[in-house]
Amino acid sequence: MNRADAEITVQVDGLRREFDSKEGKVVALDGVNLQVRKGEIFGVLGPNGAGKTTMIRILSTLLLPTAGKAGVMGFDVEKEPEKIRAVINMASGAERAGYDFISARGNLWFFSQLYGIPTEEAHRRINELSDMLGLQNYLDRKFYALSTGYKQRVTLVRAFINDPKVVFLDEPTIGLDVMTALSIREYILKQAKEHGRTILLATHNMAEVDAICNRVAIIDKGKILACDTPAALKRSLGAPSLVLEVSPIPAPGSLETIGKLEGVKGFTSSVDEERGLSRIQVVVDGDRTAQSVIDSIRESGMTVVSNWRQQATLEEVFVALVGRGFREREHEAA
Amino acid sequence: MKLHSNPWLRTAYARLWVRAKSIYGEPLWVAVNIGFPFFTSFSLTMVYRAYGLNSFTGFAILGGVMISFWGNVLWSMASQFNWDKQVGLFEIYITSPAPISAILVGMSLGGILGTAPSAAMVAILGWLIFHPPINAIWPAVISVFALTLASLYAMGMALSSLYLAYGREADSVNEALHEPVSLISGVYFPSTGGFSPFPLAVQAGASLIPLTLGMDALRRTLFFGQGFGELYLDLELLALAVMGVVLLFASSKALKFLENKGRRTGTIAVRQR
Repeated sequence: MNRADAEITVQVDGLRREFDSKEGKVVALDGVNLQVRKGEIFGVLGPNGAGKTTMIRILSTLLLPTAGKAGVMGFDVEKEPEKIRAVINMASGAERAGYDFISARGNLWFFSQLYGIPTEEAHRRINELSDMLGLQNYLDRKFYALSTGYKQRVTLVRAFINDPKVVFLDEPTIGLDVMTALSIREYILKQAKEHGRTILLATHNMAEVDAICNRVAIIDKGKILACDTPAALKRSLGAPSLVLEVSPIPAPGSLETIGKLEGVKGFTSSVDEERGLSRIQVVVDGDRTAQSVIDSIRESGMTVVSNWRQQATLEEVFVALVGRGFREREHEAA
Repeated sequence: MKLHSNPWLRTAYARLWVRAKSIYGEPLWVAVNIGFPFFTSFSLTMVYRAYGLNSFTGFAILGGVMISFWGNVLWSMASQFNWDKQVGLFEIYITSPAPISAILVGMSLGGILGTAPSAAMVAILGWLIFHPPINAIWPAVISVFALTLASLYAMGMALSSLYLAYGREADSVNEALHEPVSLISGVYFPSTGGFSPFPLAVQAGASLIPLTLGMDALRRTLFFGQGFGELYLDLELLALAVMGVVLLFASSKALKFLENKGRRTGTIAVRQR
């Protein structure tokens, strides 16, 4: 193994995972390749059902690949799961796992024992990690008495209790208020920066990826569509995107013509019921295309209430790659 | 190697602690653990008395003691992994380096420790109120009791993998198993031998349940003064020991098999959200 390889903590080659369903085989991952380096916060960004959780489950040894290879810290997920389990941890935002009638501290001590950590050291780590997340004053409360946000903090303390080299986080801030989400992001950043841990973060929260990820892979229908730093991905779009507010709210399907215009890479729309208008974000290749979009909308009988150009976001990168936004993609999948 | 640095022992102890503490974390459960078995014992003791069978009232009290453990095996041992899976704890176990056997043994010992005081309360109350006649060979009683619990909890471990495989129907399976097993294993009356109301085939089937052999052996040692060297008792002890070892081995293998199957089919982490 050369010096460059030594820095690779997660390696995925041609990873494929199929599930059996009543309708036949469902492909959750379709030939995924990626490498994550030591100390990196690597985002896997995609709509629900894109394959993010499946990838995390394979890497955390909960699931076997149908084909391809995946390794963590040089160990193969298929052949050496025990070796991987000793150096990783994982947490899911949807998880509220804990024993209700035991305190948060008791639960965390219990989880530390699954890794054979001496009690004194376990308590030191519980205190240290809880301090970072503002959990200290809640440690002696019974688990069932904690709010969703504090249960999630317990989960995140658990995810780092064993001093893991690689941590897999699946939507760690889902359903949390802004302030809690912010403190959790800071905590994740510290864990990577100060302790050199590799963190693989699966999320559909673009702000989260923008805020903390060194690199991000955009995934849709089990395939990685792009992989780079968030800034580079946004730069790759070139022109700023066009945002329009139109009225009346267009009928379903009536915006399809926008996608067919030359120079339009994709678009996504949302409805503002309160104001009785629709907001359309269009990824365009330049000013001329932006103008032709505005003209096309006017020609279809709608009023353009306002329009402006804005710097591309990661969602627009996704729109440019897929032609549709996250919400539309999830709606299609449903 | 120091005892405290052994990861297997650490895991087993931690799981024991969680189980025992959880049982006593909810006062209502403690009351239920003592109340239900005692009320049933009380009723059946009155039935024995009504028929002038005062010398057998101990059967009903012993039944109340052992039914506490059977309830714990069924509701807190067999269905535990299934419940753990639903709330996401099972995947934490699997993704940790903790040996699953240590978790199972910890769960069992914690269950025994958590249930023992309630069972003891049933025994003490029963003895204080009814004064059942006792003719015990205590070393034999203690050995039979320990072996019965060991094989009963080993059965709980084996059932836990079965429940894990069949998923969400665990509660219905528990409901379906609780009363019939209590009946045929003769918790409150002899269900095998000359006094059994059941045909031989049912008796033979019932003898495959550790509770049946355990109850019979406990009655022999506690009320009829039988000790080691009595052929039938020795055979029951041997059968209980074999059952314990076989069930322990089977449960460990079954869980490993289910883990591998779950990794293939993607069912380890399927849970209610």
